[in-house]
Amino acid sequence: MPAEDRVDPTRLNASMLNATLLDAVAARLARASADALEASHELLTHYPDTGDASTQRAVDTLIDQAAHALGTLTDSLTETSRGLVAAALATSPQSGDSSPARAGRRQGPIA
Amino acid sequence: MTVSLIQGDQISCSRVGGAMRRESSRFRQHAQSLDDALGELAAWEGPDADATRALIAATVGALRATAADLDDAGAALQGYATDLAEGHELGRRAARRVQGAGLLLDGSRVTEPWGPASAHEAEQRRAQVPEIQARVDLATALVGRARGRLGREMTRLTQSFSGRSRTAQQPQKAHLPPR
Repeated sequence: MPAEDRVDPTRLNASMLNATLLDAVAARLARASADALEASHELLTHYPDTGDASTQRAVDTLIDQAAHALGTLTDSLTETSRGLVAAALATSPQSGDSSPARAGRRQGPIA
Repeated sequence: MTVSLIQGDQISCSRVGGAMRRESSRFRQHAQSLDDALGELAAWEGPDADATRALIAATVGALRATAADLDDAGAALQGYATDLAEGHELGRRAARRVQGAGLLLDGSRVTEPWGPASAHEAEQRRAQVPEIQARVDLATALVGRARGRLGREMTRLTQSFSGRSRTAQQPQKAHLPPR
């Protein structure tokens, strides 16, 4: 067997381990993303009555900005998660594998 | 009918504050979990390893910062709710004193009613005005200061959230490994 076709078992295990770890981190990021999205929606369902027009404007503006920041954070977490899924596929020694598990991972972050 | 001296609903303020702090706690747990995962990835070597680790670290940083701002906002709203509840109680007591003394409230000013009254009765009412006005002022000042504190904190945190929204996507694009 030519040297270039030989598989180094140590390297294979490390690659598989890295791919698994990257997948696990991607899943954690996806969970955080789902929570951030839920939090941004939930914030907008509340109406705290401060009893004063000027204070009310300040609180309403904060809630709008917080919800927007959470939406941006959701996008950021989702994008990072997708980046890791791609990195996991590139790292995996079985990146050509078409098993359902790997195909599922290509679809995006785990919600 | 007694008009409420202090406006606002402390329960709704407390509810939002509590929700914000719960979310903050949840995000801190996510950040901790991701920090642990980052540690597990420390040995990973590859062309994109450093960039990916930096990307995760930046994302965790944004998560922690958002959690901290949410916690501060929630704490400010809960603190305001406590002050508002105290203001309502002081306001109710002051309003009862106003009514009991046969006086009137014009906004937050204690006034004497118009109309016929004996000289003795009018003098008795007038004598009580300063003390009752002081009680009213105590309630309105307490809530006024609380509103000032809340407004300043909301403004500070609004700027923080706004800045975070603007910068959130920038490190992302710089660190993402090519696909």
